[in-house]
Amino acid sequence: MKMVKNKHVVAIDFVIIAATLVFALVLVGYARPLIIAPVDELITTNSSVLFEFEKGDFILLDNNLDFSSPEKIYAEDNLIINLKPGVYYWRVQGALTSEIRQLTIQSEVELKLKEFADGKFKIVNAGNTNLNVDVYENGELNQTLTLGVEEEKEVSGKKFIAREDVSGGENE
Amino acid sequence: MFLEERMSKLFVSIVLFVFLISGVFALGVTPGRTTFDYEPGTQRKVDFSVVNSEKDDINIVVLVQGELNESISLSEVSFSMSSSEQSRNLRYILDMPQNLAPGAHSSEIVILQLPGRSSVSDAFVGGTVAVVTEVVVFVPYPGKYAEAGLNIIGPENGKVTFVIPVTSRGDLDLVRVGGTIDIFSSLNEKIATVSTNEISILSKERKEIVAEWDASSIQPGPYRAVATVIYDEQVLKVEKEFNVGERRLGLEGIEVNDFSLGEIAKFEILVENKWSQEIKGAYAEMQVFNSDGEIMAEFKSPTQDIPALSKALMISFWDTEGVRKGTYDSTLFLRYGASSEQQSLKLEISENDINVVGVGYVISESSGGKSSGGLTTILIAGIIILVLVNLSWFLFFRRKLKHRQ
Repeated sequence: MKMVKNKHVVAIDFVIIAATLVFALVLVGYARPLIIAPVDELITTNSSVLFEFEKGDFILLDNNLDFSSPEKIYAEDNLIINLKPGVYYWRVQGALTSEIRQLTIQSEVELKLKEFADGKFKIVNAGNTNLNVDVYENGELNQTLTLGVEEEKEVSGKKFIAREDVSGGENE
Repeated sequence: MFLEERMSKLFVSIVLFVFLISGVFALGVTPGRTTFDYEPGTQRKVDFSVVNSEKDDINIVVLVQGELNESISLSEVSFSMSSSEQSRNLRYILDMPQNLAPGAHSSEIVILQLPGRSSVSDAFVGGTVAVVTEVVVFVPYPGKYAEAGLNIIGPENGKVTFVIPVTSRGDLDLVRVGGTIDIFSSLNEKIATVSTNEISILSKERKEIVAEWDASSIQPGPYRAVATVIYDEQVLKVEKEFNVGERRLGLEGIEVNDFSLGEIAKFEILVENKWSQEIKGAYAEMQVFNSDGEIMAEFKSPTQDIPALSKALMISFWDTEGVRKGTYDSTLFLRYGASSEQQSLKLEISENDINVVGVGYVISESSGGKSSGGLTTILIAGIIILVLVNLSWFLFFRRKLKHRQ
């Protein structure tokens, strides 16, 4: 008889422990921010990235997994964030913290050239990173210009070589 | 009369544009740079894309220049792209050469668009455009070697954060990396010294050390930070100037042009950064309320970094399908960091116009913690219930049952 009752106690122990675990898991799952976009390990050249999530207060964004110097962007659900090229780690903070996801913005070097009737050119940085543009005239390097994103300059020359300007340093 | 004047101006602008611009060329490449750690004798394959963004018929030549040019081979050296081909994927193979000296070694893959006719005006464009994707190989220095930078964040909530990214460029690991930051006033007087945390960094790894400075009682103005990074008895110095002052973003005006009811309205929000440093990740959020005071629409601009003491235009869009003519209450939030500036507005919506009328202005700190407040309560309540159930069973009911037995 005692053996049977002991079994009952153990069964109740088991039920309570199991129910506690299930309830805790459901609770954590319910309270944890839900990340919808962007997908993990996304690689893109588009600097404007839509961050879509629920149950969050802010996005933590950093260039290292330790999140030692994160940028805090307060948004409760969706937001388009403009980012410089680089590798980012991000997570959403709400009542709990979401999983960490990785995002890579690849640099795109793009130069647009508009020729005017007077023989001059307008050069436009149409990419997503700052550029150094070598301007050649009669086969010789005439000058090197720095162009910010979407910046344009009027210039004389015949050949224009654009490369990524890395003097601005890495993304913070 | 006004319309006629505008039309004639538009006509003159179009004629001038057609005469002045005789051709457009555009070329792109992605990625702009690829870096490798040196591993002699290994081979690396890298895919890159040439972008024909103007959707033109173009002729391309690809060439390699720089000190690694003999180690790089290309999948294609010349090709044509038709107007329907927006991008072409290419590949280069880098055979890492033996015996490279320590430091950075680079080469350039130059993608050159040959002169030709422009799609915009069918005119011959006399210029040549070239874009470069760079290849950089880092060869470790013998022993211990570190490179460091200095990023200064804030002040936010009265605190300035100094972040020092340190990259171990030597072939040995760095066991202890830490540092101190001396802060100097504009009169070059040392006013504070703060210490960073201490970390270890493996060879070729990049990590950050961080220090915080309480600047809440400091006078606004320019300051200079000198960081001394100490890694395994070696010293490295980096310095940067920064400003302490009030971080504020001001609303200068809102305009909605070329609007038709039922279409997408484009809100142009002019803001001014009144701070002497760049404000990062700022965006505008607008809420429109119905007559019951419920939110009927909510839209945001993308984030943008606004340079110090300058104005910027934030753009956000509102789909007005199903919206009726009338006056609506609205709230505009300018959000940046933990701060949020709030402006109450009225939107007078007619068939072809949205008139934005400003009402009041509120500045608030820390907009965080609102949405998850309820969730936190649920979480805490759930945990308390779990603890109570477990405690009452294991400490009370279970014992009672055993005693009965």
